Amino acid sequence: MAAAMRSALTDHINTIIIGQGVTDFKGIFGTLTGLHREFPGRVIETPLSEDAVTGICIGAALNGLYPINTHIRADFGLLAANQLINMAAKYKYMFGGHFSVPMMVRMVIGRSWGQGAQHSQSLQSLFAHIPGLLVLMPSTPDAIVSSYAYAVAHHRGPVIMFEHRLMYDLAFNASQRPLVDDPFASRLEREGRDVTIVATSIMVLEALRASNYLADFDIQCEVIDLHNISNPDRGLIMKSLAKTGRLIVADTSWLGYGVASEVCRIVAETDPTVLKAPVVNLGMAPSPCPTAKALEDIYYPDLHRTIDTVARLVRGRVDHGVPIPSHKSMSDFYKHFKGPF
Amino acid sequence: MTDKKRYQKLFRQALLIRLVEEKIIELYPYDKIQSPVHLSIGQEAVAVGVCESLYQEDLVFITYRGHAFYLAKGGDLKLMMAELFGRANGVSKGKAGSMHLAAPEVGVMGASAVVASTISLAVGAALANRLQNKPGLSVVCFGDGATEQGTYHESLNFAALYNLPVLFLCENNGLAVHTTLTERQTYAIHKHAQAYGIESVRIEEGWDFQRIGDVTAGITAAMRKDGRPRLIEVITCRYKEHVGPGEDYDAGYRSRTDIGDWMARDPLCLDTELVAKLLPELDAEITAAVAFAEAGPLPGPQDLLSDIV
Repeated sequence: MAAAMRSALTDHINTIIIGQGVTDFKGIFGTLTGLHREFPGRVIETPLSEDAVTGICIGAALNGLYPINTHIRADFGLLAANQLINMAAKYKYMFGGHFSVPMMVRMVIGRSWGQGAQHSQSLQSLFAHIPGLLVLMPSTPDAIVSSYAYAVAHHRGPVIMFEHRLMYDLAFNASQRPLVDDPFASRLEREGRDVTIVATSIMVLEALRASNYLADFDIQCEVIDLHNISNPDRGLIMKSLAKTGRLIVADTSWLGYGVASEVCRIVAETDPTVLKAPVVNLGMAPSPCPTAKALEDIYYPDLHRTIDTVARLVRGRVDHGVPIPSHKSMSDFYKHFKGPF
Repeated sequence: MTDKKRYQKLFRQALLIRLVEEKIIELYPYDKIQSPVHLSIGQEAVAVGVCESLYQEDLVFITYRGHAFYLAKGGDLKLMMAELFGRANGVSKGKAGSMHLAAPEVGVMGASAVVASTISLAVGAALANRLQNKPGLSVVCFGDGATEQGTYHESLNFAALYNLPVLFLCENNGLAVHTTLTERQTYAIHKHAQAYGIESVRIEEGWDFQRIGDVTAGITAAMRKDGRPRLIEVITCRYKEHVGPGEDYDAGYRSRTDIGDWMARDPLCLDTELVAKLLPELDAEITAAVAFAEAGPLPGPQDLLSDIV
């Protein structure tokens, strides 16, 4: 991420990075640290004014700049929603193409250590619902390296990147695969014959963890990283389902009116007969997020539940016979974290 | 330019706008303009006076009550009329209607129907000018109601903090739809902006395009030198209803006598001699624009999904 942000500034003279905390010592989870010194005047700290700052980004984009606006929690993006939805999404269309609003908004999905209801929302489907906004959830090194660069260089409209807070500290193995043709496309992360798991963000990583475990029990999972929430790859999903006939959607947010609903809509509209069993969806429990760890651990789908869900679906019964690994919350695995936030 | 020539030039611009608005009223019952219209009648002098000092490169962000500024800044009348008629060869291919006029070629950077929503855009455009070393002021027009929105405060603060060349232009007609200013505000607009260190001035004689022109000339000259934000509050008067072609003095929230004093000073009402002299050529211009609009093609299905991104 830090490399992507530095490249955005070095490769494009008109890029600015703007938001609260972009110049402080924490540098938005280390993705911006020091850039304000290296690029004076182009990394701009702001007052707490999300609506106006978003409008400022839009106005700047109309006049030749490429603004990258950060929200250290997606929840604060709701303060920007008026400008993002009423203005950025519509400025090109509503003026018959006279204007373009090339800009990026980075929203961080909070999780763990008692983030609570207002520091943990994952709002991709809210914004993806709006024509004119492009919503992406980069979750692999390839996606991160290619999506940000491609967006800054080529996408002439507003793009919202949802980044998962737990992924900043992960050590990824940068893959040796060639970069994909279309950095905005959904990606096949793992092939398998028994079940299709369509996942977003950190759930892609969870799905891969579950897949690795289940492989030892001859359950082969196919994992699709949805990545492009606004324009999921319908063909990729249906081709996979033609093979497996079983679908699990693993999303970072609530299920109702969310990514899970959209994937189900795609299948239902294209060819529901590919399904051998009802769809199973994994997401947040249908409540605001609690702060107590004991509740957090059941609020989010974890490895335990993911494995159990896949095994039930593939084996077709509750007593599927696959031993479930000892209960481990996602945050325990991804981060030995002792606070503050 | 002599005073008389200047007066006539500004008068002509203001009269054209009023006649355009009156033509829209005349056409409205025929359902050719299928778009809500927020008419500038009574407020023309503000646009005309302010735009006198603006260059083509100065960027202006306007509101849904934007016909006056669109035309005063140099927007094309034919294209505007075609846009109101919903034609594919209108300003915005028929997708904007009256509320979202734009003319980027002369610096009209769009209009929004969400009150106060373009104020921060003007600040951003000024930031972009500053960072790219481009000359040009950023002007944002808004009404008295917009100053109540939180984003107005946010925008004033940011513009002052970063010393951006933004001209905050408030057209204070004392109304937010049907609610009067004293029912809504505890502050004086031109005093409030001073709290941010933004030099502010209030012009009472909003019918007087020359006075508005003089004040704006002084302020914009200063801004082009020091690049700092300013505010101009102009008291003006909306003669017609909030939206639509009619008048609503019977509705109860105000009466015709409330604006009688104003109309008694409005040059467009008083100088009947000059109106009569200019009428034929202005009528011809407007008639030609209407004919252009009527002849325009309707947008087709292929236009519905174009220009989204």
